[in-house]
Amino acid sequence: MTDSPRGNGRSLRESDPLLADRIVGTPEQQAAARPAVAAGWDEPADIEKAPATIPDLSEVEVPPALKAEIEAHMAKYPNVRSAALPSLEAAQRVHGWCSPEALRQVAAVMRVTPAYLSMLATFYDMLNTEPVGRHYVYVCTSVSCHLRNAQALAEAMKAAKQEGDDVNVREFECLGACDMAPMANVDGRFIGPIDPSEAPEVLAALREGRTPLPGRGLGDEGFRLPWEGES
Amino acid sequence: MPKPEPKLITFEIDGREVQAPEGQMLVDAAKMGDVEIPYFCYEAKLGQPVGACRMCLVEVEGIPKLQTSCSTPVKDGMVVNTKSDRVKQAQNAIVEFLLVNHPLDCPVCDKGGECPLQDISYGWGPGRSRFIEPKRHFEKPVALSPLVAIDRERCILCYRCVRFSQELSEDYQLVFLERADHTFVGTHDGHPYVAPFSGNIIELCPVGALTSQAYRFRARPWDIEDAGSICTLCPSQCNVKYTTRDDNKVVRVLARDNEDVDDGWLCDKGRFGYQAIHVPERVTRPMVRDGGELRPVSWERALSEAAGALARAGDRTAALVGGEATNEDGFLTQHLLRGVLDSPHVDSRTSGVLDPQQQAVLAQPDLTAKVSDIEWAGTVLVLDTELVDESPILDLRVRKGVRRNGLNVIVATSRPSTLDTNARALLRFAPGAGEALLAALAAAVSGQGDLEDLSGRAGTSAEILRGAAELLQEPGPVVVLWGERLSQGERGRQAVARLIDLARQLNLSGTEGAGLLEVPRGTNARGLREVGCVPALGPGLDTATRAGKSAGEIAASVPGEVSALLLVGADPLTTHPDRGMWERALDRATSVIAFADFVTEGLDEHADVVFPAESEAEKDGTMTHPDGRIQRVRQAIARPGEVRPQWSVLAELCERLGNPTGLLSGAMVSERVFESVPFYEGITLAEIGGKGVRWQERDGAARLPRVELPVGELEIPPRATAEGLRLGTGPSIWSNRVVEHSPLLRFLLPEQVVELSPEDGERLGLRTGDQVSVSVDGTSVSGRAFLRSDMPPGNVFLIEGTRTDNATALLNGKPRSIELLRAEETSPA
Amino acid sequence: MAVQEVRVLLDNIDEPGLNHIDTYERLGGYQAMRKALTEMEPDEVLAALENSGLRGRGGAGFSMGKKASFLPKGSMDKYLCCNADESEPGTFKDRLLMQKNPHRLIEGIIIAAIAAGANKAFIYIRGEYVLQADVLDAAVREAYDKGYLGQNILGSRNDVDLVVHRGAGAYICGEETALLDSLEGKRGNPRLKPPFPANQGLYNGPTLINNVETLNNVPLVIAKGVDWFKQFGTEQSTGTKVVSVSGNVQRPGNYEIALGIPARDLVYGLAGGPPPGRKIKCWFPGGSSAPVLLEEDLDRPYSFEAMAEAGSMLGSGAIIVVDDSVPIVSVALRLAQFYRHESCGKCVPCREGTNWTVKMLERIDTGDATPMDLEIMAQVQTNIIGNCLCVLGDSMAMPIGSMIEKFRDEFVEHIERAREAKDRLSVELGTYAEPADAVA
Ligand SMILES: Cc1cc2nc3c(=O)[nH]c(=O)nc-3n(C[C@H](O)[C@H](O)[C@H](O)COP(=O)(O)O)c2cc1C
Ligand code: SF4
Ligand code: FES
Repeated sequence: MTDSPRGNGRSLRESDPLLADRIVGTPEQQAAARPAVAAGWDEPADIEKAPATIPDLSEVEVPPALKAEIEAHMAKYPNVRSAALPSLEAAQRVHGWCSPEALRQVAAVMRVTPAYLSMLATFYDMLNTEPVGRHYVYVCTSVSCHLRNAQALAEAMKAAKQEGDDVNVREFECLGACDMAPMANVDGRFIGPIDPSEAPEVLAALREGRTPLPGRGLGDEGFRLPWEGES
Repeated sequence: MPKPEPKLITFEIDGREVQAPEGQMLVDAAKMGDVEIPYFCYEAKLGQPVGACRMCLVEVEGIPKLQTSCSTPVKDGMVVNTKSDRVKQAQNAIVEFLLVNHPLDCPVCDKGGECPLQDISYGWGPGRSRFIEPKRHFEKPVALSPLVAIDRERCILCYRCVRFSQELSEDYQLVFLERADHTFVGTHDGHPYVAPFSGNIIELCPVGALTSQAYRFRARPWDIEDAGSICTLCPSQCNVKYTTRDDNKVVRVLARDNEDVDDGWLCDKGRFGYQAIHVPERVTRPMVRDGGELRPVSWERALSEAAGALARAGDRTAALVGGEATNEDGFLTQHLLRGVLDSPHVDSRTSGVLDPQQQAVLAQPDLTAKVSDIEWAGTVLVLDTELVDESPILDLRVRKGVRRNGLNVIVATSRPSTLDTNARALLRFAPGAGEALLAALAAAVSGQGDLEDLSGRAGTSAEILRGAAELLQEPGPVVVLWGERLSQGERGRQAVARLIDLARQLNLSGTEGAGLLEVPRGTNARGLREVGCVPALGPGLDTATRAGKSAGEIAASVPGEVSALLLVGADPLTTHPDRGMWERALDRATSVIAFADFVTEGLDEHADVVFPAESEAEKDGTMTHPDGRIQRVRQAIARPGEVRPQWSVLAELCERLGNPTGLLSGAMVSERVFESVPFYEGITLAEIGGKGVRWQERDGAARLPRVELPVGELEIPPRATAEGLRLGTGPSIWSNRVVEHSPLLRFLLPEQVVELSPEDGERLGLRTGDQVSVSVDGTSVSGRAFLRSDMPPGNVFLIEGTRTDNATALLNGKPRSIELLRAEETSPA
Repeated sequence: MAVQEVRVLLDNIDEPGLNHIDTYERLGGYQAMRKALTEMEPDEVLAALENSGLRGRGGAGFSMGKKASFLPKGSMDKYLCCNADESEPGTFKDRLLMQKNPHRLIEGIIIAAIAAGANKAFIYIRGEYVLQADVLDAAVREAYDKGYLGQNILGSRNDVDLVVHRGAGAYICGEETALLDSLEGKRGNPRLKPPFPANQGLYNGPTLINNVETLNNVPLVIAKGVDWFKQFGTEQSTGTKVVSVSGNVQRPGNYEIALGIPARDLVYGLAGGPPPGRKIKCWFPGGSSAPVLLEEDLDRPYSFEAMAEAGSMLGSGAIIVVDDSVPIVSVALRLAQFYRHESCGKCVPCREGTNWTVKMLERIDTGDATPMDLEIMAQVQTNIIGNCLCVLGDSMAMPIGSMIEKFRDEFVEHIERAREAKDRLSVELGTYAEPADAVA
């Protein structure tokens, strides 16, 4: 990957406002459709911006702990680019989502372009390119769970989410927990089976910083499925 | 990696026996048997196939599943079927799938008429779509950048554009975002895709998804024509096609794939610069200074004033020939001076003095590498040049060599290079210390001489030099891409001596595929030297009977020494070092006569006569590529206004000065050039044709006297100053007048950037973005500070050729250190 | 009818602390590794694995020993990737094995790596398996501390480094070449084959890719021998299998059986069959990518060959049971939606075909389809099969195709009833319009 050549790096708007208007519309029209990390299908490029080349570390403030973690990941692999996913995961932990700034920080440390990272962040389901919430509740609604009424659980969870909850409640494809169906993956903890009526409790727990449905999570002390042991 | 010799094999396709090079992909091999296999995502120039579109599926005997012919190399005895029902069904299926989300707006699509998807749908599709659900709908073309628009409805996600950005130019700005049927082509956070080669994706797109902001809706394929020529904007001399309309308008520039020159790529300067041809500020009539102002006049008046002035000045005339002049213009200019005015003062270089002996050595056919040698070399040494800025297309060639053939790259530059990430060794040396670096490198290679001391003089470390020396001695030819900068300093002669010495030690002239390839400043620098536009050399590199003044000496001449100055497409105030001295020189000259397409600041103040110059698309003539390939510049459109061919104006001047040339046509001038340069002898325009000829590969080459590489004592290079900040400069790919005058390119015009290391920035209390001023004995320029982590401390880099605050103001051909570097009071928010 | 599990992989699975190295070693762990290192030549190990008949448990069912022997000899870096992406709907066996008994996997990786000459190993585990990844990380550290991983294992000249690499949510990364791209820090796009991973895989080096359960079998084969291993299972499907049973059964879970027992024993005997009063409408024998089978097929032996014979596949060894209360269209729609969402989007037939199929199924459900659409849908499936870059496309087309084929009448009935319902509704709402297809 290359840095931009000499003297490049000004935006069209800076140098030729009228032309910018002609090509991408006036600043007002632009503001109406401000692109996100993955500017949508309908979004023009933002001519206000300079091209997103590899940011120089001297221009980017990276939290030291994050920088250290990324560098540790880079050291683990024969090719540093393999560190991209773990590094994005780390950046998401720090920033709450893969924000443009988060990507810039990873890019500066890894010496890759931000686009290289948004290309990845938008491909993988667990990386969020929008601020959807620091906690997550993934309700599995794939075939096996679907057969055990997962849809109802999903609706219940969505309904239980309240204004201001910092939680990403979403349906998710098979989580590899069909034996626990219907189930949810709450911040990495697999909980199931869950009755839709328990949904409010799960979100309340997240809200109040408690462990949702203690003892009901895979890996919890003495966890068992209701029908295990009986025969 | 040595270029492999392809071996022919025989395979059967649709019942026909066909011969093809072993290992060639089936899609291409099929063409040898006139079998056309439809495809979208495959493009040999993009390297490894991706097999994404699935359009090229064929049946290969012995393999149960259909195979993608884009990724199946032919083998001897292979039996292929591209017409079976299975294949037909698959092709129908793919076309139907592709059209599921493709709008049928061909009538209003720029690609209409030259669209692979359109053609393939007719040729191989089911002829109907059973897809009745609503198609995707999006904003029709939105900007991807100021230069390129994207229509995502039409995109078929073939990977071509993103592969170009990621694997060819390696700018990695253009990517796929999202996944599955949500996938789309885009950039990070809506930033525009702005990079030196971005325009190539327009030509790569197999549908009408990526279009040129400049060309969109300008024309439809059936009312345009194509005219082949070459791009004259930099020494890469890429082969181009001008798409013209009504014989008088260039509406687009396309690549004209020539793998010996450009591999089919263009930089954005070459692709979009044509807009400057059709702008109102273009000079299209002769002008003379009248009442202190340049005013349009008749040709008669301009010619007589010019002839008069030249007659008066006689042998006190000096000529500067700009790098974009053709061999013909250059030849006639030196003829006008030497033959008519009896003045030896003609130079096409911006600074430094060429030594005739050295020039004879450098011109030796077996010492010159050709462009295609780069990718097959074992090791390439990039020496004192930033390819992407000074010969962009070679930058792509080096990357190709690394990617495909495991080429070793040594980057030996003072400023961090965009090629650093592809390099096996980085030699950062003090700006202007190229001579010392070469001496040290030679010492590391030969094991003789005081490596420690020499590397110290170059401002680098012996350790790194040893590593580089090892790479240079690995098997496989070595190609040295060296920047003309090396030969321009006050010790240019000694630096070139060191370069030649290294070449001798590495036996470059004795090794097939090895050699030196200069990256000169001017597009036609090599041709202009070979036709005699340097003070010491006449046509054919013959030592001139009377050595004239070099550009620098012309500028420094005492009053009266030079009274008339002829500027043939030259603009010393922007391109030549020591701007101050040039301003004084222009002031001093009693008359300044210029050929120009735009009135620059310098001309506006100093020119007495201005002849309108042809644009690159209006010219006829030849140029010589740095590797010796003579190429044709061909007129594509009629000359606007009163513009006349430059050669005819020069001939007219000769005639008026009592020395008729007898030249009646451009072709005749070319012939005269070929006759006058012994090693060009016998070349004809027809022979040059569309792809050019390297004179070294013709019998005529024998007419260049053979000289051995000199052996002998070389001076000890001076030590690079350690104290203070050293000044380094270089042009930007965008510092060019066509960028300034093309409406869509103008935003790329560089403003001065002052690059320094974070350490130095820290020390001086500067941050990236601060407006700073840089002074070197008295003269200062200002620019935006940029602290780059990869910059070695002690060096500061500025851009040459900016419209204001041009770094050339700080240069004088000697290594310079900066007196003062500080933030300006008025730092803009 | 009491059916007994054969617990070989799942022996001691509930032993407290089994995830710690000393417990594992107390129960005989890492003996196979010592044996392979001290008493056997790599080629002997490969031979044993091949002779054991052990077949891949990840989906393709290819001979483990053979694949390992494909790696070229030579001093270049070679890689082993353990495929722990387990994302095939209905599959959750690897999860159990990794969480409860991480060291057997590590031991299997060490043995396989040394046998195949690989010096760098990776476990690519799906990002959602946070708990299991943490368990593995801890176990890997223990193994390093004991000198079982790293340089000169047990004083031998063998080096094996092992890194646990977490994915970030993409089913396609289970496909072996997409896994490699993802591990290299790219989007998880499958690669063209050839070149095959054995020759040019991770970082273009020779690479062996195996599933978690496959590698769990390796220490058993080496420790207890080929004959012991072959006593379980059938001629062509040797050994035991941890089968994930889910869907409409009374006791969903992982059950280990000797391959070849009647599927009915699994579904009814072990998993308790469908809820009382329900009948089985159809079942997926090998994850959601396997064409569905009917109730009567339950009497077939559960083995690679028998499932193939029945026109389906054993795949990842995951049984999903659908009972007669569920409309087949809803199953098909969920399935299609899964594959549309998980398609990497690289190749045309999969990207557009899954998308088109979902849209048609949605119309069927909303009453905007005619029986003719059913024909088109069936043809779209045939147009996908065999034309994609990897088999994800086929993984949707085959089960959907099998459903259309086996439940055509129910589809047609569904279409008709949905249309009537819609017309009734729109008449009531006064928004009656010609059905979409009449217009088209
Ligand atoms: C779309 C797709 C998804 C797959 N997912 C997995 C998976 O999650 N785990 C797995 O072990 N194999 C998966 N496979 C199979 C792998 O490609 C590969 O065959 C297997 O990991 C080889 O290991 P084995 O020989 O031990 O079975 C998948 C294949 C495809 C086409
Ligand atoms: S079949 Fe699907 S998943 Fe596989 S390569 Fe094609 S698009 Fe990607
Ligand atoms: S050209 Fe072969 S798959 Fe696209």
